[in-house]
Amino acid sequence: MYLAPDGDEVEIASAAAAFVADAMPIDRLHKPDSANMDAPLRELFGEMGWFALAVPEALGGSGLSAVEHALFFREVGRQCGPVDVLAQCLAANTATDDSLRAQIIAGGRGVALLVADGDAHRLIGSADSELGLAVTPEGARLFSLGGIDAEARPALDPANSLHIVGNVPHPFEQREAGGIWQLGQLGAAAMLVGIAEAALDLIVDYAKIRETFGRKIGSWQAVRHPCADMAVRVEAARSQLWYAAAAVKEARGDAAVHLDVAKHMANTAALANTDANIQLHGGIGVTDEHGAHLLLKHALLLSRLFGSKRMLLRRLLDARLED
Amino acid sequence: MDLQYSEADREFRASARAWLKANVPQHSRPAEGFAAARFDRDWQRKLHDHGWAGVAWPKEYGGLGLSGLRQVIWYEELARAHAPHHINTTYVAMMHAGPTVIARGTGAQKAFHLPRILSGEALWCQGFSEPNAGSDLAAVRTRGVVDGDHIIVTGAKMWTTDAQYADYQELLIRTDPTSERHKGLTWVICDMKSPGIDIKPVRTMLQDEHVSAVFYDEVRVPIANVVGEIGQGWSTALATLNFERGLGFIGDQLELYERVNRAIDLASKTRLEDGRLAIEDDGIAQRLAAIKADCIAIRAMTLADIAETDRTGIPGPKGSMMKLMVTGTHKALSEVVGEILGWSFLEFDGDRTAHPWTYDYLWSWVFSISGGTNEIQREITADRVLGLPRSR
Ligand SMILES: Cc1cc2nc3c(=O)[nH]c(=O)nc-3n(C[C@H](O)[C@H](O)[C@H](O)COP(=O)(O)OP(=O)(O)OC[C@H]3O[C@@H](n4cnc5c(N)ncnc54)[C@H](O)[C@@H]3O)c2cc1C
Repeated sequence: MYLAPDGDEVEIASAAAAFVADAMPIDRLHKPDSANMDAPLRELFGEMGWFALAVPEALGGSGLSAVEHALFFREVGRQCGPVDVLAQCLAANTATDDSLRAQIIAGGRGVALLVADGDAHRLIGSADSELGLAVTPEGARLFSLGGIDAEARPALDPANSLHIVGNVPHPFEQREAGGIWQLGQLGAAAMLVGIAEAALDLIVDYAKIRETFGRKIGSWQAVRHPCADMAVRVEAARSQLWYAAAAVKEARGDAAVHLDVAKHMANTAALANTDANIQLHGGIGVTDEHGAHLLLKHALLLSRLFGSKRMLLRRLLDARLED
Repeated sequence: MDLQYSEADREFRASARAWLKANVPQHSRPAEGFAAARFDRDWQRKLHDHGWAGVAWPKEYGGLGLSGLRQVIWYEELARAHAPHHINTTYVAMMHAGPTVIARGTGAQKAFHLPRILSGEALWCQGFSEPNAGSDLAAVRTRGVVDGDHIIVTGAKMWTTDAQYADYQELLIRTDPTSERHKGLTWVICDMKSPGIDIKPVRTMLQDEHVSAVFYDEVRVPIANVVGEIGQGWSTALATLNFERGLGFIGDQLELYERVNRAIDLASKTRLEDGRLAIEDDGIAQRLAAIKADCIAIRAMTLADIAETDRTGIPGPKGSMMKLMVTGTHKALSEVVGEILGWSFLEFDGDRTAHPWTYDYLWSWVFSISGGTNEIQREITADRVLGLPRSR
């Protein structure tokens, strides 16, 4: 029993942190039209094998587990990485055709996420992606996006573009059962934990240097105490994330419950921490050039994917844990 | 990362579960008074006689010397079995007086006190806080004057839980009248039967009298009862508080999950004023589910922290964060149960056995104030976890 990155996991986490911060730093979002992933960036991720951490070696992946998957997406979240990264990775785990899978893993063909919204679908990620992936707890479906009509919508979150797709064609690959949904929940929860941590780090650093009334703001209790509450939320969400990741890796019977809890705790921590981070920065926190709003907006998007508050809480009432 | 329990851990769980199933008292604990203290001692003796006392105590002092993970298992099984709550009149003795004596006591102190604590023969209370020294514990003023081989104690302590029932007290006094703050304090074992001690129970909002003001009028405490050294009491007191803030609340942490399931059960049986089952109310259902998520995450936090401590051997600074999370969740749960129960929640006559949910609701404030208030826990987190500039 050990619930923190350990051994090789530590190295993978720090490699992921360095790679993502270099290839896709959050500051990119201050430039216009910075949403999504372009082809060269996708291929760079592909070359490093990041889309296939949890794909078995025999299928062209790294043969690692849900744990490494979570460690990677936590870093993607810290940099407000687009949902495309997650869609690409989930598609790599969905595709059954060998050459298709190889292309997805290598980043040669892009994947965006399709989410049902009434009769239509929302497309989250690059509209020039060739493939769309829809995931529910029941299974995952891959679509070709070639030739479909996607109506662009304005996007609050600069990390992703949004489109509405009226008619989705027939899926050309599909997978029953919940394995992809589980990886999706874990990835989204990990990104949200990364965001909650990034928000805490930003305010703690600032509270150590910003002075008012001749004192560092970090010595005022009206700043210290909300920071302590942020730390508590991070601790709870992160511990539960590790628990859920290990539960998926070990195929425990109650893994689905732990994932729902992990996603809920991550939703809550990210939304509350990104809010507090803006408030405690004062005026600078609401400027476009500061990163605080980027974290909030990305958290708002991610909190609706792979389990929104209402859906998760409905499922949790009757849930049971194993020892 | 892994969630694996060893074969031995699983066997331990199975044997704890079996033993508890057969041995948890059938009749419930009397609500208050010496009868309640008697019940707690009896339970402690039973644990002791069957080899289950002192899960955290080292083996050489009669404990089980269990790893943190095994302790988690033990407390989970206690909660599952609805065993007597571990925060009762034996709590101070087991959870901090004993460990403090083990860490800092003399051979004679260990030989005399530890077996008595483990067997439930001796109950202890904690005399740290004073009317003007609570959060600011270093403001302690109760005076101790060395006179030959005794220390003469005069002053007043406040908020002493279970003083009436206790045989001994961990007593923090100022032995150097010229000293200030953390210097010049001494930690002594005070026999509660000593002449000159006057215990005045204080009625709380829970309508019980479990805390007292304790007055000392030239009480003679043998110098042999000093734990640590004269003038080094602050260091000993910190050791005491560390035990409390480390694994001290582990039982409550793990019990919350059982409690939220009981509340969900209650909501599926209890009708609201409008005739619907409480669980059919979206607001109540959603709050219960969110609290359940918190309880499950608290369990993960506990396991993460314990596993880390088992590996490093040093308790991390996470106890304060845990207490903030647990006290908040405890209160939120009590509040929603108050809504589920409707008017009957307000029918409270001070009997915790008859009205456990109302009693637990009132207990929320005891939980978030005693043992260091939530504000002080936030201060500790800001200092030790986040490294923010100090406020004091
Ligand atoms: C039911 C109960 C049982 C107890 N049992 C025991 C016992 O057995 N033995 C024992 O020794 N003590 C016991 N205590 C005492 C307990 O530890 C103190 O009540 C507690 O530490 C707070 O101290 P205080 O009551 O003096 O409040 P104060 O210290 O006067 O605090 C008043 C308010 O100010 C806030 N505050 C104080 N300082 C700061 C600061 N620096 N920053 C921000 N906020 C601050 C506090 O959080 C609180 O809200 C018990 C208390 C209760 C209520």
